[in-house]
Amino acid sequence: MRSFVFAFLIFSAVQAFGQEDDLFDLFDDVEEVQLTYATFKGTQLINSATNETPGEGVLQYVIAHRFGSFNDDYLYNFFGLDNAQIRMQLDYGMTDKLNVGIGRSSFLKVADGFIKYKLLQQQTGAKNVPVSLTLNSSINYRNARYTDGVQHYTSDRISYLHQAIIARKWNRKLSTLVSPSIVHFNLVPTAQDPNTTAHLTLGGRYKITNRMALTGEGTLMSNREFSSGERYTTPFALGVDIETGGHVFQLHISNTRALNGPFWMARNPYSASNGGLFLGFNISRVFTVKE
Amino acid sequence: MKKLFTLLALTLGLSLSAQQYMTRQGSLTFDAGSPLEDIVAISNSATAVYDVQDGKLGVQVLMTSFEFKRALMQEHFNENYAESEVYPKAVFKGKFEAGRAIGALTIHGVTKDVDVPAKLDLSKETAHLVAEFAVTIEEYGIAIPSAVANKIDKQAKILVDCKLVAK
Repeated sequence: MRSFVFAFLIFSAVQAFGQEDDLFDLFDDVEEVQLTYATFKGTQLINSATNETPGEGVLQYVIAHRFGSFNDDYLYNFFGLDNAQIRMQLDYGMTDKLNVGIGRSSFLKVADGFIKYKLLQQQTGAKNVPVSLTLNSSINYRNARYTDGVQHYTSDRISYLHQAIIARKWNRKLSTLVSPSIVHFNLVPTAQDPNTTAHLTLGGRYKITNRMALTGEGTLMSNREFSSGERYTTPFALGVDIETGGHVFQLHISNTRALNGPFWMARNPYSASNGGLFLGFNISRVFTVKE
Repeated sequence: MKKLFTLLALTLGLSLSAQQYMTRQGSLTFDAGSPLEDIVAISNSATAVYDVQDGKLGVQVLMTSFEFKRALMQEHFNENYAESEVYPKAVFKGKFEAGRAIGALTIHGVTKDVDVPAKLDLSKETAHLVAEFAVTIEEYGIAIPSAVANKIDKQAKILVDCKLVAK
């Protein structure tokens, strides 16, 4: 018994010494939550929304242009600049997760309001969440006059977009998103046409330097013909993100001109094969209103 | 039996002198501000360890635990400067000797020898570590673009304030 206790004591003494040698090992068993940040540079990839929101107390101003097409008197129209579509957006981070904003677009004079909420954030460490999930909804009101001679209800002018944006930052360079989306128009050309359509946006970015990235996106399930004979195509866009301090510049080429979700996603009449390609840019600027 | 008690006392004595202190809620302030831009961040989850017997002292902080007032500044800090995904931690490993912290400081994957003044208030239950020093950002392989060069203090001030508790 005595020798046993003796051995035990010696052992614990040795153990005490052993611990000292590994003092810095304590550094390695930190199991903290590591939130994935900056999956995308901007709150928009090109046309589509990303999972990102501005932080709490941040006011963001976005100005977007889509120039005229390459096959429409390109030089006469100064590379399409003369017939550019424009959208302005002002939005605010109510919290780090909740973002609300308003916008106005020259395309059909659409005014819109949107609400975006970060439901899940990708993270590693103590808790492992492989993707980020953000919900985004917009309501869009067409101010442009109808020319069909029919008396329209106010509700005819309204359309909606609801989407879930599932994003993943694979590594520091590559991020992708998949956004199942629902578009609803209160008014469609004929009774045979669907008011509600489902769409799937795929997109990604690849960083080429710390402050520059290549971007691309496309939306599936948008290619359909309405019974009125209107043909809508698959929207896609390729671009580059350039970040300079508080600004993000996004330059791109796309086959869309409309700047509101329901219109570019579900009502895009342009096709690249017919020269329906447009240069465009988004510029965002953030202001920290509340620190 | 007497022998046994002697041994016991000896062992206890040993383990007492091998007193170690630790915290995982240490405070670390980073200040690279200039008259043009306020660039200050605080982490309140630094890990610090200290061993009385051999004077070993270590401080570690996760780069993403630094909180800035502006979300965008925090994103730029992690994404463009610290590159926190590649180099998630800043670590000091060394010794506390006669009012100085002497050892190796690793930031952004670059390790440099440092010897800076530090204060350590020791009691039976706690050890309060306070140190203030400057690091030259570019020495740690972090490039500052010329466009923002006059907004960032190339000599970032680091303030360590950790209340360690006896283990």
